[in-house]
Amino acid sequence: MSTALADTAPVAETRLAVRGLRMRYPNGKLALDGVDLTVRAGELVTILGSNGSGKTTLLRCVARLQDPTEGEVRVGGQDLARLNGEALRKARLALAMVFQRANLVRRRSVLANVASGALGRRRTLWTMLGGLPAEELPLAHELLRQVGVERLGGQRADTLSGGQAQRAAIARALAQRPKLILADEPVASLDPEAAEEIMRLLRQLAIDGGLAVLCVLHQPALALRYSHRVVGLRDGIIAFDLPADRDADLHIALLYKDLVA
Amino acid sequence: MSVDGTALDVAPRSARIAAQEDGAAAPSKAGPGRQLARVLVALVVAGIVAQSFYVVQARPGDLITGVHGMVDIVSRAMPPAWSEIGDTLWPTLETVDLAIFGTVFGVLMAVPLAVLAASNVTPARPLYYLARGVIALTRAVPDLVWALLFVTAVGLGPFPGALALSVHSIGMLGRLFAEVIEDMDFGPVEALTLTGASRLQVFSHAVVPGVLPSLLGISLYRFDENLRSSLVLGFVGAGGIGFRLLSAMNLFQYQTVSLLLVATFILVMAAERGSALLRRQVA
Repeated sequence: MSTALADTAPVAETRLAVRGLRMRYPNGKLALDGVDLTVRAGELVTILGSNGSGKTTLLRCVARLQDPTEGEVRVGGQDLARLNGEALRKARLALAMVFQRANLVRRRSVLANVASGALGRRRTLWTMLGGLPAEELPLAHELLRQVGVERLGGQRADTLSGGQAQRAAIARALAQRPKLILADEPVASLDPEAAEEIMRLLRQLAIDGGLAVLCVLHQPALALRYSHRVVGLRDGIIAFDLPADRDADLHIALLYKDLVA
Repeated sequence: MSVDGTALDVAPRSARIAAQEDGAAAPSKAGPGRQLARVLVALVVAGIVAQSFYVVQARPGDLITGVHGMVDIVSRAMPPAWSEIGDTLWPTLETVDLAIFGTVFGVLMAVPLAVLAASNVTPARPLYYLARGVIALTRAVPDLVWALLFVTAVGLGPFPGALALSVHSIGMLGRLFAEVIEDMDFGPVEALTLTGASRLQVFSHAVVPGVLPSLLGISLYRFDENLRSSLVLGFVGAGGIGFRLLSAMNLFQYQTVSLLLVATFILVMAAERGSALLRRQVA
């Protein structure tokens, strides 16, 4: 018993702690209003909510692609909301993001795109002319194998289907060796089968890889099937934060019912 | 819930249909007014064209009577002075090199200016306005005027022509490059920024591959344009085939003129085809 506890202890490590996060746009609109959220290692947490509820803003504030007005975003013990410049760049190494449109560099090969995930660990001088360190290529190959598109490494990124591009984007995120993955509607532009595959992959990364995954989705069914916890966001406020079970199902129904009503 | 949802969807659709119906009904309601407006627009356009005939003192009759003179010049220009091909090679090379120099230095100066003049990546607002000002100035002044200025400054020869093409290209390229950067897909830039990559790494691995094909395409097109311009620049003493052409015209050496025109034609066609081919390669 004590061994089991010792085994699970590292899995429960907090990878993201958001406290009192507020985000007000220059036009005065409050996008996030005191959000508190914790994501632990080995956990896939999904945020649900209507358009404009603040889901993507929350993810972008966590990644500091947008500056929050108030609050803390703790990743690896550091408050990202307070960091700037070189300190922010280094702190960002711990988190990776998967975007709705994959955001690969279209004209480069899939392999080069994946290897570029390791740029943060490399000195600028050696990689400035667009080259990638040869020692990153085996890792890139291995990651492409892990996400199931190992045969596509030599192809240009703009030749991939939506699902393949999203897998390559996940491989690029993994090349960063992150502790936390943020996924902003990663299946929004995919067909149902590809969407299931991507969600399965993200869950597998959380469970087997010990990563913390915070995902924004628009599909409650996928959220309930693959997440450990679901978080409902309404008008920038957390409406609920529950384990993904039948109880959460009811809350989700209420979240979207309120929207329609 | 679904009923409510349908109602929410239907409302804007019905509004759209109503708007379309209004639009369809509009011609019949505003028919005479719209027709009057069309007649007025046609009259204004006709007036503008008519005044241009008056201002340029267009005399179509002179064109017909002048045919005799043109036929005379053409007959005197035939056959081209093929024996002077050797003398044509150097001015031809000069013309090509004017375009190469003008394009290369234009690109080298335009790239940093475009970065400053692109609203989405400019490091500071004052630099943005400064860069936009430089681009507007270099673009607004025609290359022929720049050539006259540089001939005055550094004397006759191909160098003032090369400088003129460079300066004018800065403006033309700077504006187009800035637009390419402003329209760039920022997704890969955000993605690489979040890998913890430095600004220079993001620039070389996301910005450059994103904009390079467009920049190369525009530069090749500019080379094509510069080659045509370099032919004319010779007329103000800035070297190349143009300079040789002007001399031959002044000395009534029409067979030499026709040879130079053949060389010009070949040069322009080769540049056009070549740059189109390369543009397709980098697309």
